Amino acid sequence: MEPIVMVFAWTMVVIVLAFIACLFEDLESDEGSQSNPNSQVQLAPEMGYIHRYYNKAISGEGLSYALACTIAGTVAWAMLSTGITPLIAIPFGAGIGSLVHMIRATIPHLGRESAHKRFEQPIYLDVFFGHLVPIATHNFMAVVCITAIAYIQSPSGPLAAITGLPVAANNPFPLPLLCFIWGITVGAIGSSTGDIHYGTERLFQDRPFGEGRRVVYHGQICRYADCGIRTSKDVVAFCAKYGGPATGLTFGLIVLFENWRTLIGMMAGGLTGGSWSPGVAAGVGIVIGLIIAVALTVGNLYLVKWARKKFGPFVGE
Amino acid sequence: MDPIILVLILVSAIIGGILASLGVHLLPVGGAPAAMATATGVATGCVMLMTGSAVTGLFTASAVASFWEFEHANIALVALSGGVGAMLMIGWTMLIANLLYVFGAGIVPVSGRVAVDPITKESQTEYKTPRTDGHGMPNVSYISGMIGGFVGGFGGALIYVTLENYAHFSPATAGIVAIGIFIANAILAAYNIGGTIEGFHDPKFKERIGVGLFAAFVVSLLCGILVVVAVEIFPSLGLGGAL
Repeated sequence: MEPIVMVFAWTMVVIVLAFIACLFEDLESDEGSQSNPNSQVQLAPEMGYIHRYYNKAISGEGLSYALACTIAGTVAWAMLSTGITPLIAIPFGAGIGSLVHMIRATIPHLGRESAHKRFEQPIYLDVFFGHLVPIATHNFMAVVCITAIAYIQSPSGPLAAITGLPVAANNPFPLPLLCFIWGITVGAIGSSTGDIHYGTERLFQDRPFGEGRRVVYHGQICRYADCGIRTSKDVVAFCAKYGGPATGLTFGLIVLFENWRTLIGMMAGGLTGGSWSPGVAAGVGIVIGLIIAVALTVGNLYLVKWARKKFGPFVGE
Repeated sequence: MDPIILVLILVSAIIGGILASLGVHLLPVGGAPAAMATATGVATGCVMLMTGSAVTGLFTASAVASFWEFEHANIALVALSGGVGAMLMIGWTMLIANLLYVFGAGIVPVSGRVAVDPITKESQTEYKTPRTDGHGMPNVSYISGMIGGFVGGFGGALIYVTLENYAHFSPATAGIVAIGIFIANAILAAYNIGGTIEGFHDPKFKERIGVGLFAAFVVSLLCGILVVVAVEIFPSLGLGGAL
């Protein structure tokens, strides 16, 4: 098969993995209530709202996922260097990363809930044990996809094995560093986009729809599910319908357009024939990127205009 | 090593660090309140967002730098690639965040700090929920964020390509050093902002940018001196060891 076709095929695999990784990253942060909306879960007992949410504020999602992915990448890289097949090394590395994440998920929950004893918030053991495995499994899905992406793009991966091109198609960074880079990025995106659906909508579902959550509502979270008392597992089922996929889409689109514009630039620079010109390859990639940036800005202009027309000025007190 | 090269490394670390700080100040960062639509901006911290976008830019910049196999990479083109990569990351993130605000929570993106959008001239006050500091990414914040992403990504990629080209660091070592200098400046800028900021139209921006850039200059100078000393005393440091 033509080398360029193989490059595009592996890029497509990377994009699909990116979508799945960020989707599960966001759902994992909802499952354990991590990152920004957790400030409300943290505040709730102080406002007299005793709850059954999981309270896992390890750190920001970016740092947390950078650590989990880097551990996974380092273990996988060490195993790969001894000749073990990637089909075993990548899931094994991701498993170790998820186990460490599960340990880090345990301690903050117990510590924070114990600190809330003065507000009469109990530690529900069924909530504690019932959430640990879903946290680890969601985390595993995200980390295994990120490690696989890093492996495909690394100098020891399949992109580097494609011959017949004037320049290598892989990234020069080693596997653990790529895991760190994508771990930080996936966490930053999950924190920036997915949190909105959880924090604005799901945590305050008993408040009026269509308005920003006023400061006076803070801490007064919704504690009742469709049936019975709400736990963080009910949050995942809700956010999996919009917040999670939208977050996955964000990372998928970023990886898609970053790789696509670089590859198109490389083709313009002579990747598939003629003399190789790195200046043209880089320049065309930059111009395509700028065109996409303008299109995004226009898209936002249209979206804001549409929302203003559709929803109108704020009505109410 | 040639003193001119050492000066070049130092200057690029300083310029890259200052641009990183400027980029963070330009981003619309709403932090935790933005996750509840209580403040305008992206629902995460300054450092997290800027680092996420800059490393995405660095990923593309490193790939572009490897186009020049047997000669020095073109610094301007590699740095621009990094800038555009970071800009696209932040652009997609802000756009989809706005989609979540509009379709997931039924909220109109508005600024809480200005009554009229300085770019589109759209009024903001009557669309804002009372007792909030705005919500979503209005157009002025979006454009400010795009510029911030570009500037920050450009700075990070500039440090990377200089270290790889002229200090002869391996790509991995150059990447780690660039991320290190970048994060130091991003954290300093986050302390300077102290909470939330909407972009260049925010009164906070004009108030604090001077101090922020000066602090970035001092920290980047120290980081640059450290890199120069390391390059001069341990010439094999940059080879990257096992990486």
